[in-house]
Amino acid sequence: MTDADKIADETVRSSPVPAEEAAVVIEDLSLWYGDFRALYDVSLTVPRNQVTALIGASGCGKSTLLRSINRMNDLVEGVRVSGAVRYDGVELYGPDVDPVEVRRRIGMVFQKPNPFPKSIYENVAFGPKLTGFRGDMDALVERALRGAALWDEVSGKLRESGLGLSGGQQQRLCIARALASDPSVILMDEPTSALDPIATDRIERLITDLKRDYTVLIVTHNMQQAGRVSDRTAFMHLGRLIEEGPTDLIFTNPRQELTERYVSGRFG
Amino acid sequence: MSAVRSPERIDLPDMLDVGGRQARRRRRTVRTVEAAVAMPVLLALLLLGALLFDVITDTLSWQVLAPAGSGRSFAFAEGFAPFGSWDRVMRLELAARGVPAEDIEPLLAAPEERRVLEARNRVEFMPWVDGRPFRWLVTTVSDELVADRPLWSGLASRRELLAAAEPGQVVVLNAWLDPAFVLRNASRSPLVAGLLPAFVGSLLLVGLVILLAVPIGVGTAVYLEEYASDTRLARLIELNLSNLAGVPSVVYGILGLTVFVRLMRLGPVVLAGALTLTLLVVPVVVVAAREAIRSVPPSLRQAAYGLGATRSQVVLRVVLPNAVAGITTGVVLAIARTIGETAPLLVLGAAAFVPRPPDGLLSTFTAIPIQIYSWVSENDVEFTHAASAAIVVLLAVLAVLYGIAYYLRRRFASR
Repeated sequence: MTDADKIADETVRSSPVPAEEAAVVIEDLSLWYGDFRALYDVSLTVPRNQVTALIGASGCGKSTLLRSINRMNDLVEGVRVSGAVRYDGVELYGPDVDPVEVRRRIGMVFQKPNPFPKSIYENVAFGPKLTGFRGDMDALVERALRGAALWDEVSGKLRESGLGLSGGQQQRLCIARALASDPSVILMDEPTSALDPIATDRIERLITDLKRDYTVLIVTHNMQQAGRVSDRTAFMHLGRLIEEGPTDLIFTNPRQELTERYVSGRFG
Repeated sequence: MSAVRSPERIDLPDMLDVGGRQARRRRRTVRTVEAAVAMPVLLALLLLGALLFDVITDTLSWQVLAPAGSGRSFAFAEGFAPFGSWDRVMRLELAARGVPAEDIEPLLAAPEERRVLEARNRVEFMPWVDGRPFRWLVTTVSDELVADRPLWSGLASRRELLAAAEPGQVVVLNAWLDPAFVLRNASRSPLVAGLLPAFVGSLLLVGLVILLAVPIGVGTAVYLEEYASDTRLARLIELNLSNLAGVPSVVYGILGLTVFVRLMRLGPVVLAGALTLTLLVVPVVVVAAREAIRSVPPSLRQAAYGLGATRSQVVLRVVLPNAVAGITTGVVLAIARTIGETAPLLVLGAAAFVPRPPDGLLSTFTAIPIQIYSWVSENDVEFTHAASAAIVVLLAVLAVLYGIAYYLRRRFASR
């Protein structure tokens, strides 16, 4: 009997998200990389204009879950998916849905800052240019950079390379780049794991600001970070969603023993 | 289980032996290895230098001529005019030959007369004529070559040459490599033989091969790296590419002869040569381009996909711009092979003697290495000077192409 078999299949949910507040609804999502099953019937409702944190030990499938929301997993060879992900009532894995369109509406920020080796301006303008944006690009770039709290630092050097910025600034540039495509959901895959505490603090404050206009889903290894920035937390273990609910409840009064052991730092 | 060892018996390596014997020995070993590695490189550079020196000195020779023309030489300032030196020197020469002054201009203006003049006479700039430096001399196809000495032995004995010269004979230091050499058509006579047909042929080949091999090679590399999944077909293409890069070039020549010259009935023309050389260099381009594409960080592709880029947008906007420096290297390697290849073109039937540059893709052609080969195999000693001059031109063309590629690489890399 493996560890996975001992885990309860039923997710424990506290104060579920009302249907009218849902931005993304994941239903019985399972995912295989070839023969390896990475997700076991995960169901999760992500509320609009809130920050939802995905926590869990390495390899528990939280990044996989995040990447299946904007169909980035499609790029991996041999991936198979069952179940459903709905966004604004549209089934993202439906037969008529183009994954490219999905990614244009659901932005993503990666673990390591990965600006293009282009100017700061060109980095932000990359997304809009893909769709043939014809409007006022300068204004769009400024709006995105302001949205990522980077404008004041780079407004004088938009033509300089994005690689010349510090790590924290690069990550905010990547956030600005995602905002420029005007998504409504932003996925963040451990966005501060490569940053120092001061840069991390700036990103966390930015995330709190972002939820006014966007729905944010963040994967994090840092328990304090989940506690500081998120409204709801989902705990995953070995490909299963163990427990989800309001963050303070998950951290102070978890109903599953596994969750309690993880958030109190006794494993993971 | 094991015997207890007393602490003073532990034999520590002499780590802090800074000035001691061991340290000296270590440094000596390092120096020996460094010398052993540097020696072959130095030797190679030395040999390369010697080769260049030999080739360049071979383009200069001391000659005693019995001229059919006036045998007079003219000072540089007398004959020089931007793009008009030929006319000015020719006027002086015609006057020296005793042509009445009023006949000279009509002679130069009449197209038929002028063509005959140009075919029979060559206006040459000589570093040294009869003891005076930098002179213009008009040589003709009817000139008789009395003696031809290499640069160094002639330098030592040039006074004897002058003294031995009979009245009417001219002693010159002939520089075979002058602008006119590159701009002149080929000839059976070494005195008026020029490199133009081969030069144009080589440039045409390089241009066509770049046009054909870069899109095919880069396209194949993009397909293999970004589109093809790990199927049997992709593995077969990969295996064949690395094998093709190692096939001897003569084999490509036979392939080109069979397919392009015979089956497609192109004949031994520029296009057939370019197609054959394209086959030869495509594997080189593919290998270099794949390497360059693979070195583009996957995180950049992820970023672009995450912003909703399609696969072709990722290739065109992220992968290729970041791989262009490496791709340029592959293209330079391809050009170097194209311009130096002789064997496949000989097999293909590229002509050894082509009087005029090719006037289209379907005309017969020759290339610089073939011209060198055919000149070297002539009996006439003067052709070896022409061959040396052609080698210098070949190396210069290569140097210019390398320079352009280096400049492009620097530009792409800095962006």
